[in-house]
Order: sequence, then C-alpha cells, then structure tokens
Amino acid sequence: MYAIEITNITKTFGKHKAVDELSLTVPEGSIYGFIGPNGSGKTTTIRMIMNILYPDSGTVRIFGGEHIGSRLDDVGYLPEERGLYKKMKVKEILNFHAELKNGQKIKQEIDYWLKRFDLEKWADKKVETLSKGMSQKVQFIATIIDRPKIIILDEPFSGLDPINADIIKSTILELQAEGSTVIFSTHDMSMAERMCDYIFMIHKGKKVLDGTLTDIQDKYGTDTLRIQTDNGVSAFKDIPGIEKINDFGQMQEIRIVQSIDVQDMVRSIMDKTRVTRFEITKPSLNDIFIRIAKPEKEEVDHA
Amino acid sequence: MRKIWILTKREFITSIRTKSFLIGLIIAPVLMGGSFIVIKLSEDKLDLDDKKIAVIDHTGILTDDLITIAEDRNANYTIDTASGEKIRPGYYFEDVLPDTSNLLQQKFQLSEKIRNKELHAFVEIGPEVLHPGEDQERFRITYYAENSMIDDTRSWVGRAINNHIRKLRVDELNLGDDATDDLFFWINVNGMGLVSMDENTGDVTDAKSSSLADALAVPYIFMMLMFMMVMMFTVPLLSAVMEEKGERIAEVLLGSVTATQFMVGKLLGSILVSLIGSSVYIIGGAVLATQAGFAESIPYHLLPWFFVFMILEIIMVGSIMIGLGAACNNAKDAQSLQFPAMLPVILPMFVMFPILKSPVSGFATAISLFPPFTPMLMIVRQATPVTIPAWQPYVGLLGVLLFTLLMIWFGGRIFRTCILMQGTPPKIGNIIRWTIKG
Repeated sequence: MYAIEITNITKTFGKHKAVDELSLTVPEGSIYGFIGPNGSGKTTTIRMIMNILYPDSGTVRIFGGEHIGSRLDDVGYLPEERGLYKKMKVKEILNFHAELKNGQKIKQEIDYWLKRFDLEKWADKKVETLSKGMSQKVQFIATIIDRPKIIILDEPFSGLDPINADIIKSTILELQAEGSTVIFSTHDMSMAERMCDYIFMIHKGKKVLDGTLTDIQDKYGTDTLRIQTDNGVSAFKDIPGIEKINDFGQMQEIRIVQSIDVQDMVRSIMDKTRVTRFEITKPSLNDIFIRIAKPEKEEVDHA
Repeated sequence: MRKIWILTKREFITSIRTKSFLIGLIIAPVLMGGSFIVIKLSEDKLDLDDKKIAVIDHTGILTDDLITIAEDRNANYTIDTASGEKIRPGYYFEDVLPDTSNLLQQKFQLSEKIRNKELHAFVEIGPEVLHPGEDQERFRITYYAENSMIDDTRSWVGRAINNHIRKLRVDELNLGDDATDDLFFWINVNGMGLVSMDENTGDVTDAKSSSLADALAVPYIFMMLMFMMVMMFTVPLLSAVMEEKGERIAEVLLGSVTATQFMVGKLLGSILVSLIGSSVYIIGGAVLATQAGFAESIPYHLLPWFFVFMILEIIMVGSIMIGLGAACNNAKDAQSLQFPAMLPVILPMFVMFPILKSPVSGFATAISLFPPFTPMLMIVRQATPVTIPAWQPYVGLLGVLLFTLLMIWFGGRIFRTCILMQGTPPKIGNIIRWTIKG
C-alpha cells in the first residue's frame, strides 16, 4: 500500500506554474528524499500533500483516501521556515502540538523526547529563552511527538550543527524502523544518498527523477572517472571526449561523453601522464543534480 | 471540534495571561470606580472660597436688595447645620456706581481686579430690567468673570435678580403677600414611565418614576461595555495573526489543523474571554447598582440580547481582524488597516446621543438596522425607556447574522490566501482580489 499517492497535480500562482502535472507514489515505510533547486516546486508539493495548498487539478491521497481533517493527524509536518509561540514553555508547546495531533501517552512521550534530545533542563523554560539550535530540536520533537505514520520534513537539517543533525538523522531512522514513512527535502545530496530509499527530483515544477539511487545512477550509466595523475587537471587538456571536469585538487572527477569507451579514455590519459590511481564509477547524486539543474552548455563552458 | 477546542483553550489562556486583560478587567473598573468616589467626595468641596462680586446697577434700586438676599443665603444655606461644616461659598456683593462718562474704562478696571483675584466677578444690570422696553441693550443683565459660562455663581445671581425683579413688579400691582406666594409657586413636571399590566395577574401597576439612569445611563453602559469588549478582544487578533504569520508559526499549525479550524479557534477564544470580561462587569455593576438603590433600573431582560449582539459583533470584527492580520507583513501595514476594521464599533459612538433622544425616529431605526452598526445601536434603542417595535430587534439580528457570515467568509478567504504569503503589500486592490479569487 502506498502511504502517499499524488496524481497529476498542478499548482499555478498567477502566471507561474509552480508544479506541473506531477505524479508520485510513496511506499509505506520508506524514506523518500525530495531534491531540487531553489524555487523548483518542492515546498509547494509538500504543502499540497499537507492540504495547506489546494492543487488546481489532480489529487493527493494518503493511505488511499482523500486526506481532509482527521487524516492530518497521521502526518507530522516540519515546514522549512518554522516558528513556535515564544511566550509558551517548552513542555506546554509540546503538549499543545501533541494534543492537536491526538497524541497518546503525551506526558511520557514528552519526557522521553526531551531526554533524548538533552532538553530536560529546558522543559519549563519559555521558548524565547532557547538558542536557535534548541528551538529547532523542540520544533522537531513537536513534529514527531505522536509518532505519526507519515513524517514530512522540509529541510530538517538546515542550520543544525553536525551533532544535532546526527541526533535528528538517527531519530528519523528509528521512526522508520517503527514503521513510519518519511519524506524529507534537502539540498545535502550526500545525506540524501545515505538515508533515502527513494529519491525524487523536481525541476521547474516537473518531475525529472524518481526511483532508488541505484536506478537513477544506472540511468546515467558508468560514465564517470575519478582519477589521480602526476600533472593534475592539466593532464586532461586537449583530450577529446571529456564532457566535464570536477577538480578536487589532488584528484579530478571527469565525465566522459557517451560515445567514448572509458577504457580508451584511461589509455589516452596514460599516454599523456603517469596515473597513480583511478576508479570507474557511476555519477554521484550531486553530479546528477547539477547535470539536470544546470544547462549543459554552461557546464562545458565552465569546464 | 476537538482541535478547535484545543486552539480555543490556548487562545483563552494566552489572553487572560496578558497585562491588557488584567488591566482591562481589574484595574479599569477600579480606576473608574475610584474616580467616581473621588468626584463624589470632592463635588461639595471643590470651591468653598467666598466670592466677592461687584454690581454696576443702572437701575439704582436692585443692589441693596441683592446684598440682603445674599446675606440671607450666606447665613442660612452655606453651613451644614448638623455638622457645622461649610458646604457652599458665601456671596458678597459690592455696589459700584456706574461711571456714565467712561463705562468701558470702569469695566476694564473691574476686570483687572478680577485678574488680580481681588474680585470674583462683576455684574452689570441694565436700566430697564424692571420694565423692559424696545431696546434690548437697556434691559440686559451681564455677568463678567474669567470662566463665566460654567460659573455656578452666575446661575445663582441670575435667579436671585430675576426673582427679585418679579417681586418688585408684583408689588406694583398691590396683590398682597398670599397672592404673591401663589404667583411664585413653581410646580415641577414629574417624568414617569407608562402604566402597565402584569401579564400573569392582570393587575394594572402604576408607572414608575423616570430617572436619568433609565434614560441615559443604562443604554450608555450597554454600549460602552460592548465597545470595550470588542476593542479589548478583537483588535489584538490582528497583531496576533500577523505575529503567527511573521514568526512562521502559522504553517506549523496548518500541518495539524485546517485554516478554518485555526480561525474558528481564535474567534472562540476571543468570545470566551469577552464573555468572562463582560460577565464580571455586569455582575459587578448589578451588585453596585442594587446597593446604590438602582436595582429597578437594571434591565435583566435585555442581557440575552446584549450577549447575543456582543458575540456576533466579536465574530464580525474578529473575522475581519484575523483576515487583515494575515494580509499584513509589518506594523505599518497593521496600523493602516486596523482603523477601517474598527469602524463598526467606532461610528455608532458618534450617533449614540441623537438615538438616545429619539429612539424611534426614522434615522434611529434605519441606522440601527444597518448590520455593521446593529449590535451596538439596537441594544441602545432597546435599553431606552421608549418601546421600540418588537420586530425590529429580530430583523436586526437576522441582518447581523447574515452580515457576520459574510465577514467570516471575507476574513477566511483572505486568511487562507495570505497566511503563508510573504512580502505582498495589503493594498485595497490586492485585498479585493484575494477575497474574490482566493
């Protein structure tokens, strides 16, 4: 059964089509990563899933049904830009959000999560006294306080230090293990690669990628060569068949045009310089993202 | 419904914890009550200083009598016989012969004396006051003082001179003392309500004496109470929603509740707080009025109407405030939109007195049936001693109900459209577009 089924949804703001005929199915119990450049339609899509915005056309179903009213109780939502009532105490605000979600065993859950996020001492403090990082943790707890069946997180790691980001990451994985379905949007491609079962990319309102990381990488083929040579990036000058070079200093990542065989490319490079290490690999999600989001011509010009 | 109740509870608790609620509910009545007590305590003690008044008497026959009358007053009416305390200022008149060669200069010199606090006032009595002729200038009585319009002494001087002049005129007719007393016996017209019949027993009960409390105080209190409740508990909704939008709290909540639940929760919170606030005032006011002997002036039968109209007014204005709060991006936007939204409660204040004077006039009827003004003006008309046609409050209520539904729709459309919108200014054109197109 699908946790979320989106069928041909379109949303237009004035003359701007933010989401265009988008369809997507999110399997129950999976972690689905939403990626895409700024302004591509991620947040609009999420808001339509949350019923905050109504699609101009198309349907959104949660666990097979139209999700008006009580079905929102099954979904925990952390928006990209979020806030809390500053004058309320931490415990009060968590209790308020848990009650709104019809949460069970609220007191135990609040105590558990405050302890888990090392916020016990701040339970009776007003939100306005918390640091930004602590506020973000409280907001995250408010989202998952009732252990919802679906958790939608818009940029959950932005602004967090590595320690807090790690706590949130492990919590997401823990909730998935308990059966929750997780959707999160991110600009951190390595995080998406490591955490997501499925990745969905939206660009200019249209779906451009959807599937497992392996599926997506397979689609782009084995066209990437990570190589270390004595001459660095200058070794690749005047070698035909190179589409793009990512120079990391000690090592370069080159993308080869589809008509050239990778073995031939390695031989061509070895003819010009001494190769100390190389790896033939699939493109990274970051590379795929850039290939889609950045016009090809621009890439070559900057290579 | 459960979610609306949770939101209502939060709004209610937040409202009653604010300083403005505490100030409004506790300190305001204390201050108002305190000021009444201060006025009551000080009203007889405001000005007990004796007054020295010069008289330019062009008749040459009135000043001596005025001095005698004043002496009688000073001896008998300025001291409380029981306590022996002075309760009124004494009046002392001084005869000044008119300087016919330069009267204006003489009046200037007397004015200077007033400025130097040597005199309180001076009075000029025209030469023909006893038998007024054609020339008005010659039978004029003029009172000169620094603040003559609200000077109690002027009223007393006017009455004393006129009474004495009438006595002199009667004396000329040789009618005798008994006839003179009858001639000056003044009978006041007592204001009464209407004779009524007890619906249960059929007994006809006599009319009650009409009091100022019935005629003015009761309608005024109803209107002011509704005004206070609406201002105290709906205006803050605009800034609260603007904060929820600006601080990005709204989107978090919209993940748990629908926009309609969010809005209704806020409105119900305001209604709950206003019901408590107004009940405290009404119960407190009723207790005080009963102890002060005005128990019969309390219109208990109007309380249901008052609460119904107040609730509808709060929903009406509150919906507008919530919608506009969602449209605002900053305090400047809020300032420019707040005033127009308050007009349904401000404008009725300007027409209250014409309506109190003629509650069944065409103007009063028409304006009280105009839905935005109905809650405040209909209750004013109902609270006057004049009976208004029985159908009018019901028609007014229907109009308010329909108009309130329209305002909920209007506020809801803007709220839903704008609560996540950042940066777009709330110009009139935009507000109309958001209302129509969503």
